[in-house]
Amino acid sequence: MFRRRRSADDFAEEIKSHFELEADELQSEGLSEEEARRRARVEFGNAQTAQERFYLRSRIVWFDNLLHDIKFAIRQLMRNPSFTSVAIVTLALGIAANSTIFSWINSTLLDPIPGIEHTSDMITIMRGERSEHPTPPFSYLDFADLRDSTRSFTGLLAYHDDYMTITGSDKPERLYGALVSSNYFEVLGVRPILGRSLESTAPNERLGTAEAVLGHGLWQKRFGADPSIIGKTIQINLHPYEIVGVAPEGFQGCKSGIRSELWIPVGMDSQVWGEGRRIKDRGTFWLNVLGKLKPGVDHRQAETELNLLMRHLVEQFPDAHQGPNMISSDPLWRSPFGVNVYLSGTLPVLLALALVLLLLACANVANLLLVRSVARRRELAIRLSMGASRWRLVLQLMVENGMIAMAGGGLALLLTTWTAHGMPAFLPTTNLPLTMNGSVDRTVLLATIMISLLTAAVSGVLPALRASSLSPMSALKDEALSISGGIHKSRLAGGLVVGQIALSLLLLVCAGLFVRSLQSEQNSNPGFDPNHVFLAYFDLRPTGYSRAQGIAFDRQMLTRVKSLPGVQSVTLGDFSPLSFTIHSNIFEPEGYVPGKNESMEVDRGEVGPEYLQTVRTALIEGRDFTDSDDDRARPVSIVNKALADRYWPGQNAIGKRLHIAGRWRTVVGVAANGKYRRLVYDPAPLVLIPIFQSYQTFQVLYVRVAGDPLSYGSSVERTIHGLNSDLPLFSETTLSANMRIGNAFERIAAAVAGSFGLLALILAAIGVYGVVAYATKQRTHEIGIRMALGAGKRDIFRQVLGRGLHFAGLGLVLGLMISFALTRYLRGMLYGVGTADWLTFVMVAILLCVATLIACFVPARRAASIDPMQALRTE
Amino acid sequence: MPSLGRMPSQDNPDDRIALLQGTLDLLILKTLVLGSRHGQGIARSIQRQSEEVFFVDHGSLYLALQRLEDKKWISAKWGVSENNRKARFYSLTAKGRQQLVEKTSEWQRLTRAMGLILDGRPSSEEV
Repeated sequence: MFRRRRSADDFAEEIKSHFELEADELQSEGLSEEEARRRARVEFGNAQTAQERFYLRSRIVWFDNLLHDIKFAIRQLMRNPSFTSVAIVTLALGIAANSTIFSWINSTLLDPIPGIEHTSDMITIMRGERSEHPTPPFSYLDFADLRDSTRSFTGLLAYHDDYMTITGSDKPERLYGALVSSNYFEVLGVRPILGRSLESTAPNERLGTAEAVLGHGLWQKRFGADPSIIGKTIQINLHPYEIVGVAPEGFQGCKSGIRSELWIPVGMDSQVWGEGRRIKDRGTFWLNVLGKLKPGVDHRQAETELNLLMRHLVEQFPDAHQGPNMISSDPLWRSPFGVNVYLSGTLPVLLALALVLLLLACANVANLLLVRSVARRRELAIRLSMGASRWRLVLQLMVENGMIAMAGGGLALLLTTWTAHGMPAFLPTTNLPLTMNGSVDRTVLLATIMISLLTAAVSGVLPALRASSLSPMSALKDEALSISGGIHKSRLAGGLVVGQIALSLLLLVCAGLFVRSLQSEQNSNPGFDPNHVFLAYFDLRPTGYSRAQGIAFDRQMLTRVKSLPGVQSVTLGDFSPLSFTIHSNIFEPEGYVPGKNESMEVDRGEVGPEYLQTVRTALIEGRDFTDSDDDRARPVSIVNKALADRYWPGQNAIGKRLHIAGRWRTVVGVAANGKYRRLVYDPAPLVLIPIFQSYQTFQVLYVRVAGDPLSYGSSVERTIHGLNSDLPLFSETTLSANMRIGNAFERIAAAVAGSFGLLALILAAIGVYGVVAYATKQRTHEIGIRMALGAGKRDIFRQVLGRGLHFAGLGLVLGLMISFALTRYLRGMLYGVGTADWLTFVMVAILLCVATLIACFVPARRAASIDPMQALRTE
Repeated sequence: MPSLGRMPSQDNPDDRIALLQGTLDLLILKTLVLGSRHGQGIARSIQRQSEEVFFVDHGSLYLALQRLEDKKWISAKWGVSENNRKARFYSLTAKGRQQLVEKTSEWQRLTRAMGLILDGRPSSEEV
C-alpha cells in the first residue's frame, strides 16, 4: 500500500514545538525563561539524534546510501586506475566469452525457426532410424493421412526444400525454396505482410496450384519492395506462378540455420523438379513434417498416437514401408533437420567452458580485491571505529565491485556486438544458404547484465567479507607497526590461486582435446585427394535443355575443359564430398535379405566419367566410369568397399547387381572407402552411378589441375560460357576449401575452446604473478632479516620460486582430478582422441608449470636482489 | 504498580526506569483515552501518572508516535495548544482503542505471571 510519508521538516517542527511547550510549562512552574529553555532541552535529550532516527526510519535511506556508495566507489576506483582497468578488462573478457556464446545460442538453439509463434509447442517428427543427417522421412500420402487423423496436434505441416531458379528474365537467380503443404503458414502462425498465405490451395493440394509466397528479402532485393507485387507473375524453373503473398521479415522457413526465400504448394513438385511421381507414391519419402501440439498434449503422447497411426499405415501398405517405421519427435532446438543438430551438441559445451573462464576471471579479480583490501585496511579500520557497521562496509565494497563488473559488462557487450557475428567466419564461401549467426538483441543484453551482476557477487563477496572482518584496533596497530601482517597469511588468496590453476588446467585440457580432435580429423584420410581440384557449381535447368541436350552439353564441356593447358583430368558429380550435398536412396543389393525393419538407405552419388581418377580414390577392383557409360550401355554402378563387405561379405562384388534409383545396375568397380558427409563419421556404404545413365541438372564440375586450382577459374568459366553464355556458375571454389564446410562445427569448437584455453593460461599466470609478487613485497622486511642472517640470494630465489611451484603443484593435482572427471562429457564431440588423452594432459600440465615458473620468476629475482640494509631501514 | 521497582527519589535520575520495549506504546494509547494531546503533553502525563518512575526518552516517544500513526492506531493533526502554541495533536482511532483493550489485558496477564514467579503471589490485587 502506498502511504505518503511525513517529511523530516515536519518532524523537526514538532520537536521545536515540544521545546516551546515544555519551556512554557517549566516557566509556569516558576523557572526563569532561560533556565526553562535549558531544562527543556536537557530533558528532551539529543534532538539531533531523534531527528536522525526519524530519518533512518524512512525507507529512502538505502537509496541515499546507495547513491553515496556509488559516488564513493567511483572516486575510489578513479584513484587507482591501474587496478581498476585490469579488473575491468579481466571481467570483460570473462563476461564477453559468455555473452558471445549466449548470443550464438540465443539466435540458433533458442530461436530455431525465426519469426514463428509458439516455438515451444512445435515439434519435428522423424520416422525411422535416428541420424544426424536424416533424409526427409515422410511420403505425401502418409503425411496427409497422419494430418487428417491425428488428435494430438492443432496442425501438422510438411515441406520439402531444395534449390530453385527464378527464370524468365535476363538474370536467372538460384535460391533455396520450399514446396509446402497448404496449412504451412497457418500452423507456424506466420502471417504474410502482403497478400495471403497458401491456405486456399488446400482443396487442390495434391494437384498443385501455381501460386507463390515470396520471402521478404527476395521481395526487397529482386522486386524493389514493390507494394503492388500481389497478382504479378514469377517464373520458377521455367513455370509461371502467381505471387499471392509476401512473408514477414525474418521468416526463413522451417529448417534451422537454412534460409528459404520462396514457398509454393507441395503439389507443384512435378513443375519445379520434374518429379511428378513423388506426390502419388506412398513409398517415396521426401517431406519433413512439423506439428504444433494441442494445449495440454505433451510430445510423448503425440509420439504414441502417431506411432499407432503409423502402424496402421504400415499394415495397410507393407510394400511402401519396408524400412524402420518408428516415429520419434524432437523439440525444435535440437531438430535433426537443419544446422541445430550440430550446434545443439557443441554450443552448450562451449557455454560451460565460458562459465569456467568467467569463474577464473572472477578468481583473478577476487585476488586483486584482496590485495587492495589489505592496502585499504587503514581506511576500513577507521570507518569501522567511527561506527560504520560491518554490513555497511560489505555493502560499500560490493558496490565498488558492482561498478567494476558493470563496466566490465559494458565493455563485454561492446566486444559481443562484434564477436556475436563471428560464426560465419568459420564457414567457407559456400552456396548453401546458411544463416547461422549470433546477434545482440534484448535477451542477450539482459543476459549480459545478469552475468555481470553474478560476476560482481562471485568475485566480490569473499574479499568484501574478509576485508570487513578486521577488528579496528588490531588493524590500526598492525598498520602502525608493520606492513607484513598482510595477505601472505591469507589462505584465501592461496586457495584462489590454486583454484585458478586448476580451472585453467581444465580449460586447457578441453582446448587441447578439441584441437587434437580437429587435427586428427584433418589428418584422417578422406578417401580422396582434395588438393589441386577446382570445383564449379552450376544448374542446367534454367537453360531449358532436354535431357539429351544436357548430356550433350556435359560431354562437350568435359572435352573442352580437359584440353585446357594444365588440366589433368575432369569429371562431373551431383554432389561434392564433405559439404552436405550427397544424397541417399533406398537400395536393394542382389542376394541380400534385409532384417526386419533394417534401413536399406545408402549414400548415392551420380558422377561423370573418370570420377575415381579425378578425385584420386583408389580402385580396388574393376573399372572407373567411362565416357560410354550412358543410355546405350547397360546400367552399371561402382560401390565402395564398405558396401561390398557389408552386403556381400566374402564374395566378389564385381558382377553383382543392385537396385537403386529405379533400375537394376551391375557392379563394375569396387572403390576404396571414402568420407562423403563428415570427416568424423566412419566411412559409410556408397553407390556411384554414371551421371549419363541418370542425369541431374544440378552439377558440380571437378577439374584436377597442376598448381593453384583457383587460377583456372577464369579459363574454365570462359570455356563453359563459350558453350552457353547464359549459364550462371554460382560457385567457384576448390575441393579442399569446399570440404571445410563439413567440419565447420569442429573448427568452431576448437577455435573457441582454444582461445578460452589461451585466456585461461594468461589469467592463471597473472593470478600467480600477482599473489607471489605481492606476498614477496609484503615480506621485504622478513627477507631482509633472513639475508642479514646469512641467507644467500640463491636461497631467497629458490624459496620464492618454491612458493609459486607449491601453488602450481596443488593446482595441477586438483585440476587433473577435475579434468579426468569432466572431460568424459566431451566423448561424443571428439574424434580420434580419447577423453583421457595422456599426451594432452601431460602437455597442458607442462605448459601450466612453465607459465607458473615464468610468473614466479620475476618476483623471485626481485626478492633475491633485495639489499638487506635497505630492506631493514624502510621499516 | 508497587513491585515494578523501588520508590523513586526525585533527586537521583538513575532510579528512574527506562521503559521496556512495547510498554511505551501501551502507555501512549492509555494517555490518549481521555482525549487528544500533543507530544509534550503525553510525555508529561506519563511521567506524572507513573509518579515520576518512568523516564520517557523523548526521542523514543516521537518515534513511537510515528510508529503508532503508521499503524493507524492513532491519528495526528496540527492544532493550537491552550497557551496558543502550534502543536501536533494525537488522538486514538477506533483501531487504537481496540488495541488498547487487547494490550492492557496482555500486560496484566504478564505482570501477574511475573509477580507469581518473583513473589509467589499475584503482583496486582486488582487482577
